[in-house]
Amino acid sequence: MGMILPVILATADTMADVIFQPTDLASKRLEFLEAARNGQARLRDKDGTSFVMLPESRLRLLETLAKWWQAYMRLESLLRRSELPKARELGELAWLRSFAREDLDEFVSELHDALVAANADEDTTALDDCIKGWRTTARQLEDPLRRAILLAPHVPEDYVEASEPDGPE
Amino acid sequence: MARSSAYDPHMPARRPGGKPEQAPRYRVLVHRRYLDHYEELVGRVGIKQARQFWDHVAQDPGNPDPIASTCFLRGQAGRPKSPGWSRTIHYEVSSSARIDYQYHDAYTTEPDGDLHPVVAILTINYSSH
Repeated sequence: MGMILPVILATADTMADVIFQPTDLASKRLEFLEAARNGQARLRDKDGTSFVMLPESRLRLLETLAKWWQAYMRLESLLRRSELPKARELGELAWLRSFAREDLDEFVSELHDALVAANADEDTTALDDCIKGWRTTARQLEDPLRRAILLAPHVPEDYVEASEPDGPE
Repeated sequence: MARSSAYDPHMPARRPGGKPEQAPRYRVLVHRRYLDHYEELVGRVGIKQARQFWDHVAQDPGNPDPIASTCFLRGQAGRPKSPGWSRTIHYEVSSSARIDYQYHDAYTTEPDGDLHPVVAILTINYSSH
């Protein structure tokens, strides 16, 4: 959780100092919504409970970052051991089981970089690209023939001219 | 020196469907284990998408396709197979047809052979995700 906390705290730091009251929802609703649109509307209920209203897209970003920071830390911890993690230990990341140790280390490194970029950019594009690329690779490696060819060195004799398939327009 | 490969660098690969608007820059090779899959391509995805793939790899295999989704494979599967080869590109011809390829801008099969750009289709996958 050491890396998740700074993300959440950084978000909290950007919150405005204005704290709305429940009665403001009627009398200052435009100000409240404007603050929420900027991701900064705070409201304190009569019992002291604090609420924050923010754009759904920002909430999704924070949820995605939290989820993948947790996954990163879990995997990093598993890879500190000498043996490869088992599928049941990988949980949601069980799709990584087709990778060798070297690839798993590379995945963890790239995931870390993508998380830092997503956090800084407040955009998950780099993270999405990273996950998509590795998931796609895992699927391709599931098949023994695809795996053998993708991991083998280039042998010119293995390749032939592509023939022209015919078909209707 | 006798050529041991069925690949003839002096024979251009053919394009699915009619004649191309531009001459292909890259010759297209396919791994012999996926030759049957390649010959099914038009039947699987239709001539339009087969042609889209062909035009892309024959003209500009190193850049993103304006229509189809592409990404680099990661890890060892994504590394160049030897010096001069690109990383492995995963091209989604359709929702149920995906092709992995690498390209080489100055390929030759013999030490003093003619350098020419080629695309090597490594695998073809017709299963849907």
